[in-house]
Amino acid sequence: MTQDRLVTRSSVLTVIGALVVFLLIWRAIVFIGGYPPFILPTPEAVFGRFLKAIGDGTIWPHFITTLQEVAFGFAVGAGAGVAIGYLLARSALVERLASPYLVAAQAVPILAIAPLLALWFGPGLLGKVVICSLIVFFPVAISTMVGIRSVDPRLLELGRSLRATRRQVLTTLEVPAALPSILGGMRVGVTLAVVGAVVGEWAGADRGLGVLINLARGSLFDIPLMFAALLTLALMGIVLYLAVVLVERRLVGVR
Amino acid sequence: MSAGALTLSKVGVTFPTREEGPLTALDGVDLMIEGGEVIALIGPNGCGKSTLLRVIAGLLTPASGAASLDGSPIAGPDARVGLVFQEPRLLPWRTSADNITYPLELDGWSAERRAARLAELVDLVRLDASAVTARPSELSGGTRQRVALARALALSPEVLLLDEPFSALDAMTRERFDLELLRLWDGAETTIVMVTHSIPEAVLVADRVIVMSPRPGRIAAEIAVDLPRPRTLAQMETSAATATMARIRAQLELAA
Repeated sequence: MTQDRLVTRSSVLTVIGALVVFLLIWRAIVFIGGYPPFILPTPEAVFGRFLKAIGDGTIWPHFITTLQEVAFGFAVGAGAGVAIGYLLARSALVERLASPYLVAAQAVPILAIAPLLALWFGPGLLGKVVICSLIVFFPVAISTMVGIRSVDPRLLELGRSLRATRRQVLTTLEVPAALPSILGGMRVGVTLAVVGAVVGEWAGADRGLGVLINLARGSLFDIPLMFAALLTLALMGIVLYLAVVLVERRLVGVR
Repeated sequence: MSAGALTLSKVGVTFPTREEGPLTALDGVDLMIEGGEVIALIGPNGCGKSTLLRVIAGLLTPASGAASLDGSPIAGPDARVGLVFQEPRLLPWRTSADNITYPLELDGWSAERRAARLAELVDLVRLDASAVTARPSELSGGTRQRVALARALALSPEVLLLDEPFSALDAMTRERFDLELLRLWDGAETTIVMVTHSIPEAVLVADRVIVMSPRPGRIAAEIAVDLPRPRTLAQMETSAATATMARIRAQLELAA
Protein backbone atom coordinates (compact mmCIF):
# COMPACT_ATOMS: atom_id res chain seq x y z
CA MET A 1 0.00 0.00 0.00
CA THR A 2 2.60 2.52 -1.10
CA GLN A 3 0.09 5.30 -1.71
CA ASP A 4 -0.94 5.27 1.96
CA ARG A 5 2.51 6.08 3.22
CA LEU A 6 3.19 9.53 4.55
CA VAL A 7 6.67 9.61 3.07
CA THR A 8 7.00 8.59 -0.54
CA ARG A 9 9.82 9.43 -2.88
CA SER A 10 7.84 11.88 -4.99
CA SER A 11 6.35 13.62 -1.93
CA VAL A 12 9.84 14.08 -0.45
CA LEU A 13 11.10 15.52 -3.74
CA THR A 14 8.14 17.91 -3.91
CA VAL A 15 8.75 19.15 -0.36
CA ILE A 16 12.47 19.62 -1.00
CA GLY A 17 11.77 21.41 -4.29
CA ALA A 18 9.33 23.81 -2.63
CA LEU A 19 11.86 24.49 0.15
CA VAL A 20 14.61 25.28 -2.36
CA VAL A 21 12.32 27.70 -4.22
CA PHE A 22 11.33 29.36 -0.93
CA LEU A 23 14.99 29.82 0.10
CA LEU A 24 15.93 31.17 -3.34
CA ILE A 25 13.13 33.76 -3.24
CA TRP A 26 14.17 34.77 0.29
CA ARG A 27 17.80 35.10 -0.85
CA ALA A 28 16.73 37.08 -3.91
CA ILE A 29 14.68 39.53 -1.80
CA VAL A 30 17.67 40.18 0.48
CA PHE A 31 19.97 40.59 -2.55
CA ILE A 32 17.70 42.83 -4.62
CA GLY A 33 16.39 44.92 -1.71
CA GLY A 34 19.84 45.20 -0.15
CA TYR A 35 18.41 44.76 3.35
CA PRO A 36 20.83 44.81 6.28
CA PRO A 37 20.91 41.67 8.50
CA PHE A 38 19.00 43.42 11.32
CA ILE A 39 15.99 43.82 8.99
CA LEU A 40 16.10 40.60 7.00
CA PRO A 41 19.05 38.28 7.42
CA THR A 42 19.94 35.83 4.65
CA PRO A 43 18.75 32.22 5.00
CA GLU A 44 22.31 30.99 5.45
CA ALA A 45 22.89 33.52 8.25
CA VAL A 46 19.72 32.34 9.98
CA PHE A 47 20.65 28.70 9.55
CA GLY A 48 24.18 29.37 10.83
CA ARG A 49 22.77 31.22 13.88
CA PHE A 50 20.29 28.37 14.41
CA LEU A 51 23.09 25.78 14.48
CA LYS A 52 25.21 27.96 16.75
CA ALA A 53 22.28 28.51 19.14
CA ILE A 54 21.72 24.78 19.30
CA GLY A 55 25.45 24.11 19.73
CA ASP A 56 25.98 26.57 22.59
CA GLY A 57 22.71 25.60 24.29
CA THR A 58 20.97 28.99 23.87
CA ILE A 59 17.76 27.56 22.40
CA TRP A 60 17.46 24.31 24.33
CA PRO A 61 15.93 25.50 27.68
CA HIS A 62 13.51 27.79 25.81
CA PHE A 63 12.55 24.96 23.48
CA ILE A 64 11.89 22.57 26.38
CA THR A 65 9.80 25.16 28.25
CA THR A 66 7.62 25.93 25.22
CA LEU A 67 7.26 22.25 24.34
CA GLN A 68 6.06 21.50 27.89
CA GLU A 69 3.49 24.28 27.74
CA VAL A 70 2.27 23.05 24.36
CA ALA A 71 2.14 19.41 25.46
CA PHE A 72 0.23 19.99 28.70
CA GLY A 73 -1.96 22.66 27.13
CA PHE A 74 -2.86 20.43 24.22
CA ALA A 75 -3.58 17.45 26.48
CA VAL A 76 -5.88 19.45 28.77
CA GLY A 77 -7.56 21.43 25.97
CA ALA A 78 -8.10 18.46 23.67
CA GLY A 79 -9.30 16.25 26.53
CA ALA A 80 -11.82 18.85 27.68
CA GLY A 81 -12.75 19.55 24.05
CA VAL A 82 -13.62 15.92 23.36
CA ALA A 83 -15.65 15.60 26.58
CA ILE A 84 -17.58 18.87 26.15
CA GLY A 85 -17.98 18.29 22.41
CA TYR A 86 -19.60 14.93 23.14
CA LEU A 87 -22.00 16.48 25.64
CA LEU A 88 -22.84 19.28 23.20
CA ALA A 89 -23.73 16.69 20.58
CA ARG A 90 -25.78 14.44 22.83
CA SER A 91 -27.51 16.82 25.22
CA ALA A 92 -29.73 19.62 23.96
CA LEU A 93 -29.67 21.14 27.46
CA VAL A 94 -25.87 21.33 27.57
CA GLU A 95 -25.84 22.84 24.10
CA ARG A 96 -28.37 25.52 25.02
CA LEU A 97 -26.58 26.34 28.29
CA ALA A 98 -23.01 26.29 27.06
CA SER A 99 -22.86 27.26 23.42
CA PRO A 100 -23.38 31.04 23.82
CA TYR A 101 -20.45 31.18 26.25
CA LEU A 102 -18.29 29.02 24.05
CA VAL A 103 -18.89 31.20 21.04
CA ALA A 104 -18.39 34.38 23.08
CA ALA A 105 -15.15 33.02 24.52
CA GLN A 106 -13.99 32.20 21.02
CA ALA A 107 -14.89 35.66 19.74
CA VAL A 108 -12.64 37.38 22.33
CA PRO A 109 -9.04 37.35 21.02
CA ILE A 110 -6.82 35.19 23.19
CA LEU A 111 -4.16 37.91 22.89
CA ALA A 112 -6.49 40.28 24.77
CA ILE A 113 -7.17 37.99 27.72
CA ALA A 114 -3.63 36.57 28.00
CA PRO A 115 -2.47 39.35 30.40
CA LEU A 116 -5.48 38.67 32.61
CA LEU A 117 -4.78 34.96 32.65
CA ALA A 118 -1.12 35.65 33.43
CA LEU A 119 -2.29 37.79 36.35
CA TRP A 120 -4.58 35.05 37.67
CA PHE A 121 -2.38 32.02 37.13
CA GLY A 122 1.06 33.55 37.57
CA PRO A 123 4.10 33.69 35.32
CA GLY A 124 4.86 29.96 35.54
CA LEU A 125 3.83 26.90 33.55
CA LEU A 126 0.19 26.95 34.72
CA GLY A 127 -0.72 30.24 33.06
CA LYS A 128 0.58 29.06 29.67
CA VAL A 129 -1.13 25.70 29.99
CA VAL A 130 -4.41 27.51 30.63
CA ILE A 131 -3.95 29.74 27.56
CA CYS A 132 -2.89 26.82 25.35
CA SER A 133 -5.79 24.66 26.46
CA LEU A 134 -8.29 27.48 25.88
CA ILE A 135 -7.08 27.94 22.34
CA VAL A 136 -7.00 24.18 21.64
CA PHE A 137 -10.38 23.56 23.24
CA PHE A 138 -12.63 25.22 20.69
CA PRO A 139 -11.66 23.47 17.44
CA VAL A 140 -11.52 20.10 19.19
CA ALA A 141 -14.91 20.60 20.90
CA ILE A 142 -16.58 21.70 17.67
CA SER A 143 -15.09 18.89 15.57
CA THR A 144 -16.06 16.33 18.22
CA MET A 145 -19.61 17.69 18.31
CA VAL A 146 -19.89 17.57 14.54
CA GLY A 147 -18.33 14.10 14.43
CA ILE A 148 -20.62 12.62 17.07
CA ARG A 149 -23.69 14.23 15.51
CA SER A 150 -22.88 12.81 12.11
CA VAL A 151 -22.69 9.21 13.35
CA ASP A 152 -24.99 7.24 11.05
CA PRO A 153 -28.29 6.76 12.97
CA ARG A 154 -28.70 3.42 11.20
CA LEU A 155 -25.56 2.18 12.95
CA LEU A 156 -26.98 3.37 16.27
CA GLU A 157 -30.15 1.41 15.50
CA LEU A 158 -27.99 -1.64 14.79
CA GLY A 159 -26.40 -1.16 18.21
CA ARG A 160 -29.82 -0.93 19.80
CA SER A 161 -31.01 -4.10 18.04
CA LEU A 162 -27.95 -5.88 19.47
CA ARG A 163 -28.72 -4.56 22.97
CA ALA A 164 -25.52 -2.51 23.22
CA THR A 165 -25.13 -0.69 26.54
CA ARG A 166 -24.64 3.09 26.64
CA ARG A 167 -20.93 2.52 27.18
CA GLN A 168 -20.68 0.01 24.33
CA VAL A 169 -22.44 2.45 21.99
CA LEU A 170 -19.85 5.06 22.96
CA THR A 171 -16.77 2.87 22.56
CA THR A 172 -17.76 0.69 19.61
CA LEU A 173 -19.90 3.06 17.53
CA GLU A 174 -19.70 6.74 18.40
CA VAL A 175 -15.99 7.17 19.05
CA PRO A 176 -14.76 5.12 16.06
CA ALA A 177 -17.26 6.83 13.76
CA ALA A 178 -16.35 10.33 14.97
CA LEU A 179 -12.60 9.69 15.16
CA PRO A 180 -11.66 11.18 11.74
CA SER A 181 -13.50 14.37 12.62
CA ILE A 182 -12.05 14.55 16.16
CA LEU A 183 -8.52 14.06 14.87
CA GLY A 184 -9.14 16.73 12.21
CA GLY A 185 -9.91 19.16 15.04
CA MET A 186 -6.76 18.05 16.87
CA ARG A 187 -4.66 18.78 13.78
CA VAL A 188 -5.85 22.38 13.92
CA GLY A 189 -5.58 22.42 17.71
CA VAL A 190 -1.98 21.27 17.95
CA THR A 191 -0.67 24.09 15.76
CA LEU A 192 -2.82 26.60 17.66
CA ALA A 193 -1.28 25.29 20.88
CA VAL A 194 2.13 26.57 19.70
CA VAL A 195 0.55 29.99 19.09
CA GLY A 196 -1.04 29.86 22.55
CA ALA A 197 2.28 29.12 24.23
CA VAL A 198 3.99 32.09 22.57
CA VAL A 199 1.10 34.41 23.39
CA GLY A 200 1.25 33.22 27.00
CA GLU A 201 4.98 33.81 27.16
CA TRP A 202 4.60 37.33 25.84
CA ALA A 203 2.10 38.08 28.58
CA GLY A 204 4.77 37.33 31.14
CA ALA A 205 7.45 34.66 31.39
CA ASP A 206 11.16 34.25 31.94
CA ARG A 207 11.74 31.35 29.57
CA GLY A 208 10.36 29.96 26.33
CA LEU A 209 10.77 30.53 22.60
CA GLY A 210 8.40 33.52 22.77
CA VAL A 211 10.64 35.04 25.43
CA LEU A 212 13.69 34.32 23.29
CA ILE A 213 12.09 36.17 20.37
CA ASN A 214 11.49 39.18 22.59
CA LEU A 215 15.04 39.04 23.97
CA ALA A 216 16.58 38.72 20.52
CA ARG A 217 14.58 41.65 19.21
CA GLY A 218 15.09 43.81 22.28
CA SER A 219 18.06 43.74 24.63
CA LEU A 220 20.21 41.35 22.58
CA PHE A 221 19.31 42.91 19.22
CA ASP A 222 20.29 39.67 17.49
CA ILE A 223 17.82 39.47 14.61
CA PRO A 224 19.27 36.21 13.16
CA LEU A 225 18.68 34.64 16.60
CA MET A 226 15.07 35.85 16.47
CA PHE A 227 14.69 34.14 13.11
CA ALA A 228 16.33 31.02 14.55
CA ALA A 229 13.70 31.01 17.33
CA LEU A 230 10.94 31.45 14.73
CA LEU A 231 12.42 28.55 12.77
CA THR A 232 12.35 26.40 15.92
CA LEU A 233 8.69 27.27 16.53
CA ALA A 234 7.82 26.46 12.93
CA LEU A 235 9.62 23.11 13.14
CA MET A 236 7.87 22.31 16.42
CA GLY A 237 4.50 23.05 14.81
CA ILE A 238 5.28 20.91 11.78
CA VAL A 239 6.50 17.95 13.83
CA LEU A 240 3.49 18.06 16.17
CA TYR A 241 1.13 18.33 13.22
CA LEU A 242 2.75 15.34 11.54
CA ALA A 243 2.53 13.43 14.82
CA VAL A 244 -1.26 13.92 14.85
CA VAL A 245 -1.43 12.92 11.18
CA LEU A 246 0.52 9.75 12.00
CA VAL A 247 -1.83 8.90 14.86
CA GLU A 248 -4.70 9.48 12.46
CA ARG A 249 -3.19 7.12 9.87
CA ARG A 250 -2.68 4.55 12.56
CA LEU A 251 -6.13 4.77 14.14
CA VAL A 252 -8.32 5.61 11.20
CA GLY A 253 -6.38 3.84 8.47
CA VAL A 254 -8.14 2.86 5.29
CA ARG A 255 -11.92 2.87 5.40
CA MET B 1 -44.42 -26.44 18.89
CA SER B 2 -40.78 -25.65 18.14
CA ALA B 3 -39.06 -22.50 19.36
CA GLY B 4 -39.40 -19.23 17.51
CA ALA B 5 -43.20 -18.96 17.49
CA LEU B 6 -44.51 -15.43 17.08
CA THR B 7 -47.94 -14.16 18.02
CA LEU B 8 -49.21 -10.73 17.07
CA SER B 9 -52.63 -9.77 18.34
CA LYS B 10 -54.39 -6.55 17.33
CA VAL B 11 -51.06 -4.77 16.90
CA GLY B 12 -51.44 -1.08 16.13
CA VAL B 13 -48.68 1.48 15.57
CA THR B 14 -49.14 5.21 15.08
CA PHE B 15 -46.51 7.81 14.28
CA PRO B 16 -46.98 11.47 15.12
CA THR B 17 -46.71 13.74 12.08
CA ARG B 18 -46.53 17.49 12.19
CA GLU B 19 -49.06 18.33 9.47
CA GLU B 20 -51.74 15.66 9.42
CA GLY B 21 -51.88 14.44 13.00
CA PRO B 22 -51.04 10.86 13.94
CA LEU B 23 -50.40 8.46 11.08
CA THR B 24 -51.65 4.92 11.56
CA ALA B 25 -48.86 2.69 10.25
CA LEU B 26 -50.38 -0.57 11.49
CA ASP B 27 -53.96 -1.23 12.50
CA GLY B 28 -55.25 -4.36 14.22
CA VAL B 29 -52.68 -6.77 12.84
CA ASP B 30 -53.35 -10.37 13.92
CA LEU B 31 -50.73 -12.90 12.92
CA MET B 32 -49.67 -16.30 14.23
CA ILE B 33 -46.34 -17.65 13.03
CA GLU B 34 -45.27 -21.14 14.01
CA GLY B 35 -41.71 -21.93 15.02
CA GLY B 36 -39.67 -22.80 11.95
CA GLU B 37 -42.15 -21.30 9.52
CA VAL B 38 -40.97 -19.12 6.62
CA ILE B 39 -43.13 -16.04 6.10
CA ALA B 40 -42.93 -13.45 3.34
CA LEU B 41 -44.48 -10.01 3.96
CA ILE B 42 -45.42 -8.31 0.73
CA GLY B 43 -47.33 -5.16 -0.10
CA PRO B 44 -47.13 -1.71 -1.65
CA ASN B 45 -45.03 1.07 -0.14
CA GLY B 46 -46.43 2.45 3.08
CA CYS B 47 -48.29 -0.72 4.04
CA GLY B 48 -46.27 -1.10 7.24
CA LYS B 49 -44.24 -4.20 6.33
CA SER B 50 -41.04 -2.77 7.75
CA THR B 51 -42.91 -1.37 10.75
CA LEU B 52 -44.26 -4.83 11.50
CA LEU B 53 -40.73 -6.23 11.27
CA ARG B 54 -39.48 -3.57 13.68
CA VAL B 55 -42.22 -4.47 16.17
CA ILE B 56 -41.11 -8.11 16.08
CA ALA B 57 -37.47 -7.00 16.41
CA GLY B 58 -38.39 -5.09 19.58
CA LEU B 59 -37.19 -1.81 18.07
CA LEU B 60 -40.70 -0.37 18.13
CA THR B 61 -43.28 -0.71 20.88
CA PRO B 62 -46.81 -0.98 19.47
CA ALA B 63 -49.30 1.64 20.63
CA SER B 64 -51.95 -1.05 21.05
CA GLY B 65 -52.15 -4.82 20.98
CA ALA B 66 -49.38 -7.21 21.89
CA ALA B 67 -46.51 -9.06 20.27
CA SER B 68 -44.98 -12.13 21.86
CA LEU B 69 -42.21 -14.59 21.15
CA ASP B 70 -42.60 -18.16 22.46
CA GLY B 71 -45.42 -16.95 24.69
CA SER B 72 -43.59 -14.09 26.41
CA PRO B 73 -44.19 -10.46 25.41
CA ILE B 74 -41.54 -8.74 23.27
CA ALA B 75 -40.28 -5.91 25.47
CA GLY B 76 -37.27 -4.85 23.44
CA PRO B 77 -34.48 -6.21 21.26
CA ASP B 78 -33.91 -9.86 22.07
CA ALA B 79 -30.95 -12.19 21.52
CA ARG B 80 -33.36 -14.80 20.13
CA VAL B 81 -34.11 -12.52 17.19
CA GLY B 82 -31.58 -11.79 14.42
CA LEU B 83 -32.05 -8.89 12.05
CA VAL B 84 -30.81 -8.28 8.50
CA PHE B 85 -31.44 -4.78 7.21
CA GLN B 86 -32.10 -3.65 3.68
CA GLU B 87 -28.53 -2.39 3.42
CA PRO B 88 -25.65 -4.39 4.95
CA ARG B 89 -25.15 -1.81 7.71
CA LEU B 90 -21.62 -2.95 8.51
CA LEU B 91 -19.23 -0.92 10.63
CA PRO B 92 -16.91 0.49 7.93
CA TRP B 93 -13.85 0.58 10.19
CA ARG B 94 -14.05 -3.12 11.06
CA THR B 95 -13.05 -6.13 9.01
CA SER B 96 -15.68 -8.69 8.02
CA ALA B 97 -14.50 -10.93 10.86
CA ASP B 98 -14.92 -8.17 13.45
CA ASN B 99 -18.29 -7.21 11.98
CA ILE B 100 -19.53 -10.78 12.19
CA THR B 101 -18.40 -11.20 15.80
CA TYR B 102 -19.67 -7.75 16.84
CA PRO B 103 -22.85 -9.14 18.48
CA LEU B 104 -20.72 -11.68 20.39
CA GLU B 105 -18.38 -8.93 21.54
CA LEU B 106 -21.33 -6.87 22.83
CA ASP B 107 -22.61 -10.02 24.52
CA GLY B 108 -19.30 -10.42 26.37
CA TRP B 109 -17.90 -13.53 24.67
CA SER B 110 -14.19 -14.29 25.17
CA ALA B 111 -11.82 -13.92 22.19
CA GLU B 112 -11.38 -17.71 21.87
CA ARG B 113 -15.11 -18.40 21.81
CA ARG B 114 -15.59 -15.59 19.30
CA ALA B 115 -12.91 -17.02 17.02
CA ALA B 116 -14.48 -20.49 17.16
CA ARG B 117 -17.95 -19.15 16.40
CA LEU B 118 -16.54 -16.98 13.59
CA ALA B 119 -15.10 -20.06 11.87
CA GLU B 120 -18.52 -21.75 12.03
CA LEU B 121 -20.31 -18.70 10.67
CA VAL B 122 -17.85 -18.13 7.83
CA ASP B 123 -18.39 -21.76 6.89
CA LEU B 124 -22.16 -21.46 7.22
CA VAL B 125 -22.62 -18.45 4.94
CA ARG B 126 -19.75 -19.61 2.66
CA LEU B 127 -17.71 -16.45 2.95
CA ASP B 128 -14.43 -16.44 1.00
CA ALA B 129 -11.30 -16.55 3.14
CA SER B 130 -10.02 -13.39 1.46
CA ALA B 131 -13.23 -11.53 2.39
CA VAL B 132 -12.91 -12.38 6.09
CA THR B 133 -10.02 -10.01 6.71
CA ALA B 134 -11.24 -7.33 4.27
CA ARG B 135 -13.11 -4.16 5.19
CA PRO B 136 -16.62 -3.49 3.82
CA SER B 137 -15.35 -0.91 1.31
CA GLU B 138 -13.28 -3.64 -0.35
CA LEU B 139 -16.23 -6.02 -0.80
CA SER B 140 -19.01 -6.35 -3.36
CA GLY B 141 -22.61 -5.62 -2.36
CA GLY B 142 -23.45 -9.33 -2.28
CA THR B 143 -20.49 -10.21 -0.09
CA ARG B 144 -21.34 -7.38 2.30
CA GLN B 145 -24.87 -8.73 2.69
CA ARG B 146 -23.38 -12.20 3.26
CA VAL B 147 -21.34 -10.70 6.13
CA ALA B 148 -24.49 -9.01 7.47
CA LEU B 149 -26.30 -12.37 7.35
CA ALA B 150 -23.48 -14.06 9.26
CA ARG B 151 -23.67 -11.27 11.86
CA ALA B 152 -27.43 -11.77 12.23
CA LEU B 153 -26.88 -15.50 12.75
CA ALA B 154 -24.00 -15.05 15.21
CA LEU B 155 -26.07 -15.58 18.35
CA SER B 156 -27.99 -18.53 16.79
CA PRO B 157 -31.35 -16.75 16.77
CA GLU B 158 -34.68 -18.60 16.79
CA VAL B 159 -36.17 -15.94 14.55
CA LEU B 160 -34.45 -14.34 11.58
CA LEU B 161 -35.98 -11.11 10.32
CA LEU B 162 -34.99 -9.81 6.89
CA ASP B 163 -36.05 -6.42 5.57
CA GLU B 164 -35.80 -6.61 1.76
CA PRO B 165 -32.33 -8.04 2.30
CA PHE B 166 -31.41 -8.79 -1.30
CA SER B 167 -33.27 -5.98 -3.04
CA ALA B 168 -30.05 -4.17 -3.95
CA LEU B 169 -28.65 -7.26 -5.70
CA ASP B 170 -29.20 -8.20 -9.34
CA ALA B 171 -31.90 -10.77 -10.09
CA MET B 172 -29.53 -13.71 -10.57
CA THR B 173 -27.56 -13.03 -7.40
CA ARG B 174 -30.79 -12.51 -5.51
CA GLU B 175 -32.11 -15.96 -6.48
CA ARG B 176 -28.82 -17.51 -5.41
CA PHE B 177 -29.06 -15.76 -2.05
CA ASP B 178 -32.68 -16.86 -1.62
CA LEU B 179 -31.68 -20.47 -2.14
CA GLU B 180 -28.75 -20.13 0.24
CA LEU B 181 -31.06 -18.66 2.84
CA LEU B 182 -33.28 -21.73 2.46
CA ARG B 183 -30.25 -23.98 2.83
CA LEU B 184 -29.39 -22.21 6.10
CA TRP B 185 -33.00 -22.55 7.21
CA ASP B 186 -33.00 -26.27 6.37
CA GLY B 187 -30.08 -26.77 8.71
CA ALA B 188 -31.41 -24.75 11.64
CA GLU B 189 -35.22 -24.68 11.33
CA THR B 190 -35.20 -21.01 12.22
CA THR B 191 -38.39 -18.98 11.91
CA ILE B 192 -37.89 -16.58 9.00
CA VAL B 193 -39.88 -13.42 8.37
CA MET B 194 -38.81 -11.69 5.18
CA VAL B 195 -40.11 -8.40 3.80
CA THR B 196 -39.99 -8.34 0.02
CA HIS B 197 -41.29 -6.48 -3.00
CA SER B 198 -40.85 -9.45 -5.28
CA ILE B 199 -43.68 -11.95 -5.84
CA PRO B 200 -41.36 -14.68 -7.24
CA GLU B 201 -39.02 -14.26 -4.27
CA ALA B 202 -41.95 -14.58 -1.85
CA VAL B 203 -43.15 -17.78 -3.53
CA LEU B 204 -39.65 -19.22 -3.75
CA VAL B 205 -38.86 -18.90 -0.04
CA ALA B 206 -42.10 -18.79 1.94
CA ASP B 207 -44.54 -21.28 3.43
CA ARG B 208 -47.05 -18.47 3.71
CA VAL B 209 -47.21 -15.09 2.00
CA ILE B 210 -48.84 -12.25 3.94
CA VAL B 211 -50.23 -9.55 1.65
CA MET B 212 -50.56 -6.17 3.34
CA SER B 213 -52.57 -3.11 2.34
CA PRO B 214 -51.64 0.52 3.05
CA ARG B 215 -53.19 3.44 4.99
CA PRO B 216 -53.70 2.05 7.54
CA GLY B 217 -51.37 -0.95 7.33
CA ARG B 218 -53.48 -4.10 7.58
CA ILE B 219 -53.23 -7.72 6.60
CA ALA B 220 -55.21 -8.06 3.37
CA ALA B 221 -54.69 -11.74 2.68
CA GLU B 222 -52.71 -14.80 3.68
CA ILE B 223 -51.75 -17.17 0.89
CA ALA B 224 -50.22 -20.57 1.57
CA VAL B 225 -47.49 -21.73 -0.80
CA ASP B 226 -48.02 -25.46 -1.36
CA LEU B 227 -44.74 -26.36 -2.95
CA PRO B 228 -42.54 -29.20 -1.67
CA ARG B 229 -39.23 -28.51 0.00
CA PRO B 230 -36.37 -28.21 -0.69
CA ARG B 231 -37.36 -25.49 -3.11
CA THR B 232 -35.63 -25.18 -6.46
CA LEU B 233 -35.74 -22.62 -9.24
CA ALA B 234 -37.28 -25.27 -11.50
CA GLN B 235 -40.35 -25.36 -9.23
CA MET B 236 -41.01 -21.73 -10.12
CA GLU B 237 -42.00 -22.90 -13.61
CA THR B 238 -44.69 -25.31 -12.36
CA SER B 239 -48.39 -24.50 -12.65
CA ALA B 240 -48.76 -24.58 -8.85
CA ALA B 241 -46.14 -21.84 -8.48
CA THR B 242 -47.53 -19.66 -11.27
CA ALA B 243 -51.04 -20.02 -9.89
CA THR B 244 -49.83 -18.93 -6.44
CA MET B 245 -48.03 -15.97 -7.95
CA ALA B 246 -51.18 -14.99 -9.83
CA ARG B 247 -53.23 -15.12 -6.61
CA ILE B 248 -50.71 -12.94 -4.80
CA ARG B 249 -50.70 -10.49 -7.68
CA ALA B 250 -54.50 -10.29 -7.64
CA GLN B 251 -54.51 -9.65 -3.88
CA LEU B 252 -51.84 -6.98 -4.25
CA GLU B 253 -53.90 -5.20 -6.87
CA LEU B 254 -56.89 -5.25 -4.55
CA ALA B 255 -54.77 -3.99 -1.69
CA ALA B 256 -53.17 -1.06 -3.52
